[in-house]
Amino acid sequence: MARRKTAPADNPAGASNPAPKPRPVAEPLLDVHDMQGNILAGFKKDHQHLIALKIRGIPEARRWLARVLPHISSLAEVHQFNALFKMRRARLNRDPHGLAATWMNLAFSHDGIAKLASADDADALPDDSFRLGLGKERSEFLGDPLPAGQTDPTAKWFVGGTGRAPDIFLIVASDCPKQLALEVERIRPGAADGPDAPEPIWDERGETRTAQPGHEHFGFRDGVSQPGVRGLISRSPKMYLTPRVLKPPVDGSPEFAKPGQPLVWPGHFVLGYPFGDRRDGSRQDSVPLARPWFKNGSFLVFRRLNQNVAGFTAFVAAAAAKLAAEPGFDGLTPAHLGALLVGRWPSGAPVSRAPALDNPALAKDGLSNNDFLFTVDTPPPDFLPRSGASPGAFPRALESLNGPVCPHAAHIFKVNPRDHVTDVGNEFDTLTRRILRRGIPFGPSLADPLNGDDGVERGLHFLCYQASIVDQFEFLQQDWTNNRAVPPTANGHDLIIGQSPTLERSITLSPIVPGAAGQTVTAPTQWVTPTGGGYFFAPSISAIRNVLCRQDGQP
Amino acid sequence: MKIDHFDPPGNNSDFVGNPALAKKWSAKMSQFFDEGVSRANGAISAGGTCQFYNPVTHGLTAPDLPPADIAWNGFPRKFLGSGPGVPPKFDLAEPPAATGVPRDQDEYLEWYANKDTAEKITAIHFTCEGYDYYQFLGAEAPDILVALYQKFISPAVAKADLFSGGIYDVLNHWNTRDAAMHLTHGANALEAEVLLGGDATVRRKNSAGVEVTSPDVLCTCGAFGDPRRNSDPAIGAGVNALVRQGRMITLANPVGLYIDHIDDASFRLPDGSATNGWFQIVRGSPGHTLRAIFAPPAGSPFIVSDVKIGGTPVKFGGQIAQKITMKLTGVASASNTIHNAPVPCVVPVGTAHLTTGAAPKPKRPTRGGN
Repeated sequence: MARRKTAPADNPAGASNPAPKPRPVAEPLLDVHDMQGNILAGFKKDHQHLIALKIRGIPEARRWLARVLPHISSLAEVHQFNALFKMRRARLNRDPHGLAATWMNLAFSHDGIAKLASADDADALPDDSFRLGLGKERSEFLGDPLPAGQTDPTAKWFVGGTGRAPDIFLIVASDCPKQLALEVERIRPGAADGPDAPEPIWDERGETRTAQPGHEHFGFRDGVSQPGVRGLISRSPKMYLTPRVLKPPVDGSPEFAKPGQPLVWPGHFVLGYPFGDRRDGSRQDSVPLARPWFKNGSFLVFRRLNQNVAGFTAFVAAAAAKLAAEPGFDGLTPAHLGALLVGRWPSGAPVSRAPALDNPALAKDGLSNNDFLFTVDTPPPDFLPRSGASPGAFPRALESLNGPVCPHAAHIFKVNPRDHVTDVGNEFDTLTRRILRRGIPFGPSLADPLNGDDGVERGLHFLCYQASIVDQFEFLQQDWTNNRAVPPTANGHDLIIGQSPTLERSITLSPIVPGAAGQTVTAPTQWVTPTGGGYFFAPSISAIRNVLCRQDGQP
Repeated sequence: MKIDHFDPPGNNSDFVGNPALAKKWSAKMSQFFDEGVSRANGAISAGGTCQFYNPVTHGLTAPDLPPADIAWNGFPRKFLGSGPGVPPKFDLAEPPAATGVPRDQDEYLEWYANKDTAEKITAIHFTCEGYDYYQFLGAEAPDILVALYQKFISPAVAKADLFSGGIYDVLNHWNTRDAAMHLTHGANALEAEVLLGGDATVRRKNSAGVEVTSPDVLCTCGAFGDPRRNSDPAIGAGVNALVRQGRMITLANPVGLYIDHIDDASFRLPDGSATNGWFQIVRGSPGHTLRAIFAPPAGSPFIVSDVKIGGTPVKFGGQIAQKITMKLTGVASASNTIHNAPVPCVVPVGTAHLTTGAAPKPKRPTRGGN
């Protein structure tokens, strides 16, 4: 995935062998008014309310859907607001006060589609895992731990699980908690929707942590790395969904929108659009759809993940102390070990560019904090002249003769090996595994993680969109994070989210002081435990209006 | 690494009590390595140092890094779905077996499914042994070869079934139509593994002078293996990354392609239990498995077709193969003092073709394939 200069260093003038120019690649026009906004743009709100509904009367469900239809936020709306917010924040150098929006999106389980459209329609959606649903079988497939005395990992889930999948799943989000509460009340089915209106069976508020905004409960900044989605939001003037500040490569390597943000074809996230070939990334025609109304829809994965913050903190402290007594790990601190397990320091600074110490300034620099490769010395970014961007003055990510700087089983490596070859292909295959994460923490922060647990639930509402749950979310969880052997080699599990039947997992770390042997750290248990979830389909707005809301064949 | 001989794959016991045969096998492996060194030597830049070596004839006594596994998935990449949500083409990966027809399974892992009269799968046999090892046995120790068939395939196997005109027939019916004793795909040979390892020690640069590191492009550029596979790009990239660090490279003894492990944690039987004991290693050892059977242990009321993976019934052996991780093991010197200049590609990997997505037709001199 190495970025290359247009004129390589050993051929600077390109006189006898002119540097080739990349041919422009035609990107599709995205139907920004028909796609739900959270899929490609992301709500990016500090307050988010999730509501799970069970359909009782189908006519009532359709009437309710028709009532809330105008509240569904489109990609056009969300993208434009995000752009405005970003513009204002750049000028103010802080979040703009008073600039607030409240959004709503929704999705349907297999049962929900079957009830509102037909069982055939639900079965025709192109994903085996969606059809099966996130019950016992898929939960076992993901390696979810069994609660004591149970034979079904989902038996104790708060929402979802075997035979308890919600039919409809709502995401309501806002910059303002009061506005969020009002919108939830407006949208939530009530008495006016009839006695057999959809029944709320679970709901929960997620909040950005005020103690550490943007950080999940273990204390690490979350959501730094997201793929850039290809596609136009307007042909005239020509506007990309994902702005580009880098020159396109000329050597066939992946194209990046900005340093560390590869461009991925929209067909990997939304049905009905071109996707990238897993060998060379070239544009491929969209996968044919069994129903025209599937277009502009996306599969949504929800996982309610409890985090045992005190347990994780205690483990890291004890493991760091033990490792620090070993040759090659002298001086290892708990913060450093935590960074090696995640691949990033709590600030978000990548270990690849900050091997020994956290670098908060690097973490804040959006053009630098995700700019690193795993197999070569990462070249400096080749910015477009008109971008006005320049590389930050931070150490580049360099290869090491001392073993990988970022452990190969670190969380960020396991879920995105970047340019490193994997057991199933190259850097372009890895792009086909990417997901669009839309998670937010729930529960209060633990005041003093070193002082034990307080018995209060906390964790992450993990949400992600993709075109294939099988090929993307499940593949990442089951084939990579749970697998001690890949990718790329036998360096262990992802100790953050990886799962194993025995709960025990391990990771091999290279020494932080050259010349010594690596060490294996074994974790006796998991600190992230699923306590809810579901697989859903987020249809286009027109599909909700024309197919799911219809009454007796009429919209 | 310095050794005085090569052992048989997986340290199998085929040569026990027969030192002359063991010596001949070691000599054959040594020939493979010498050819690999010769190819790499012919490719590196003038004045450079070949970074691939034969650990028997030119072993290095200096310290090595810990052995490095290079891993890949056992299900052929070419049969994966063509786009998001498109399921793998399991049926194409295992069409009805026929005498004389090699299996189109090219990740150094092949399988054969036993079925009952209702076409339900009762057992799946996996092998990752190169056909050239069996050709060696056929030429040097036919009785051992026949005994292996009788042990692992059927007591009914006769020597006459395996030989044609005195030459061992790799594609005999016991290894194609009726069972799988060893690998049959033209690319699945031990010699190919060694040569691929050697070829991958050559640093390459593209037509713009930029060093090639991308796995598939490296395969095409170096004209080794097949970039359409999981295995060859992984092996090539893994070796080449160590080479770029200036190290000397060889393959760990015993040289072989191995089943590393199966991830069967999500396999379930109709009564909800796991398939503990179903994946049985019958040749080799855990982590260095040469042959395994996925079948019910004695006394089980279920058959393979009763197994579900995440709720999906097993209808093809490829569904199990997809949960198998393969590996080989390389050894790299701790010293890192060799810095050969990258050389041009054997098969040019210009640049324009990649921006349009039309990849050049791969050339596969290392692994012939079929």
